[in-house]
Amino acid sequence: MLGNRLALCFIPASSESVNAAWLLTFVLVAPLIIFLLSMRARNKSREAESLDRQLRDLHEFTRRTLEMNLNLEPGPQLAELAHEIFALESVAVFDADLHQVYPAGHWNTDPQEMTRNVYYFGTSDDDPKTGLGRRVVRLGTAPIGSLVVRGATSPLTNDAIASLTAIAFDRYRAYANESRIETERRTEQLRSTVLDSLAHAYKTPLTAIRAASTGLGEMGHLSPAQAELVALIDEQTGLLGNLTTRLLTTARLDAGEVTVHVAPVDVAPLVEEVVASLGDCLASMKVAIDIPDERLTLECDRQLMVMLLMQYIDNACKYSIYGSTITIHAVKERAEVVFSVRSFGQVIPINDRERIFDRYYRSTTRPSRASGTGIGLSVAKRVALIHGGSVWVTSDETEGTTFYAAIPATARKGVS
Amino acid sequence: MMMQPAIRILVVDDESAIRRALRPPLVELGFQVVDASRGEEALQMLRAGGFDVVLLDVNMPGIGGIETLRRIRAFAPRLPILMLTVRDQEQDKVEALEQGADDYVTKPFSMRELIARIRTAVRRVRAPARAEDAPIHIGELRLDPVKRKVTRRDQPVHLTRKEFDILLCLMSRAGRVVTYARLLTEVWGAEYREEVEYLRTFVRQLRKKIEDDPANPVYLLTDVYVGYRFADPQMFIEETEEGAPPPAAEEAEA
Repeated sequence: MLGNRLALCFIPASSESVNAAWLLTFVLVAPLIIFLLSMRARNKSREAESLDRQLRDLHEFTRRTLEMNLNLEPGPQLAELAHEIFALESVAVFDADLHQVYPAGHWNTDPQEMTRNVYYFGTSDDDPKTGLGRRVVRLGTAPIGSLVVRGATSPLTNDAIASLTAIAFDRYRAYANESRIETERRTEQLRSTVLDSLAHAYKTPLTAIRAASTGLGEMGHLSPAQAELVALIDEQTGLLGNLTTRLLTTARLDAGEVTVHVAPVDVAPLVEEVVASLGDCLASMKVAIDIPDERLTLECDRQLMVMLLMQYIDNACKYSIYGSTITIHAVKERAEVVFSVRSFGQVIPINDRERIFDRYYRSTTRPSRASGTGIGLSVAKRVALIHGGSVWVTSDETEGTTFYAAIPATARKGVS
Repeated sequence: MMMQPAIRILVVDDESAIRRALRPPLVELGFQVVDASRGEEALQMLRAGGFDVVLLDVNMPGIGGIETLRRIRAFAPRLPILMLTVRDQEQDKVEALEQGADDYVTKPFSMRELIARIRTAVRRVRAPARAEDAPIHIGELRLDPVKRKVTRRDQPVHLTRKEFDILLCLMSRAGRVVTYARLLTEVWGAEYREEVEYLRTFVRQLRKKIEDDPANPVYLLTDVYVGYRFADPQMFIEETEEGAPPPAAEEAEA
């Protein structure tokens, strides 16, 4: 507009050679031109100033959101920061994750509903009449909240505030998630350390008790009743010792402190060895070993696989009908060796089948007669996972209960 | 045994409860017992001499069991040394055996097992050296190193060359554990010392030939994660004399 007006003024001036007219025009117009030019310059500089100020504000907002306390909810902090830095009349931030609206500044009416609606209806606009700017706060394309501002900000600035709000929300969430994982890791580590030191602390007294009780037996001169009691002490110390060893191994597995030594292992002797070492426990059961391929081999940590099979067979022994058959089966299926241990006892309810592999989980329906700690199957699961394998269980009246472990026949890279 | 002078044992363990538990039965059974709570202390006592066997705990403060063992071996190469170890530290057992320990017992052990180990270790030193080529009798098995023949209940057992070598290696050290690495080195050579799975396959075949129930061996026993052990001949003699049950395969694994 200003440019056009100036052009109109100059055209006659440049095309006319009449001095008086030119002079008159000049006298009259020059101050106007000077005024207009200075106005234009002033406006330009004011505009520039305003742009510069908005840039500074955005920079300040960016800096301050980066310094935000991530241990506190981000919403109230963001609303206060925007209100303060952009000198807004009022601000409201909606955090869809926490489902909260955080207002700042002066609102005549409660901005709760309006702010939520921006999120729900996806309305992003600027109303010059009311000075309201509404923005959906998006991370990528996903809406994660909304923002309503009232004040002298440009639409572009409002966009920028919304984007920075999204980034702040995201940082807060990543941080919260990270610290939750870190907390879990520390808890696990602490638990493992406690279990480990407990198990170690148990070893010495157990050794002394066992040496003493078996020493009494070796010294002789015991009446049958005394010998009976000494044998009982001995037997129970043995149980306690096994439990301690198991706790210790679990603790180490959980803490990731077990070094995995992978080597090719022949499956048939592995299974036979486990069955032989469980001799006492299996005395009242029939055991069928079914390994069609005598030469079946598996790349695994032998010690850990022994633990897995031991848990499965021991478990089958504890929960199956006295005198029934436990079938141990191993077969190669595609790239995996699948072990299964089948027994007949009470059916495991569907709800329990997944959780039965969780530590300390004991089925509510199982009779309390069975001795167990709720640790064993979680160890089996850990062992399978360490090898890049998986565990599951099936259970019904006719087919019995079968625990499976599928282990890659060839060790994956990284497991050595 | 009665004709022999009493066996003098040095028990080295930092835990007084264990020293206190070991003393009465050992004394009652005719052993002389002296205690030490640290490796350093044990070394001083041993330099004075007069001990027949050492029970040495692996985990002790100070220089620890393995280092103590190494230092004892420097001045007493033949003194029987039994290590007291814990189950989950198989590497310690192998290390101790490589450093020259005669054997180990795993805590918590039974006194019967400990005493049998002590007697085996002492007998090895006291007995006149067996002629390299003399036949070995253990239980119902007889092995002739010269003719390279094995019989069981007087029936010939047909073994492959390697099976025979394994059996000879184990039977000539009956009662003591032989580590996988040692067995593999002796039978196949040092470059095979890591091939444990290979050895297992042979042992499995061997058990089918010499054991009544290969899944529950009485002769060729497994020391889980460490090696193999041929049953102590004394166990079979005691068994027939006292009618005691055959020795259980120890270290049933948890």
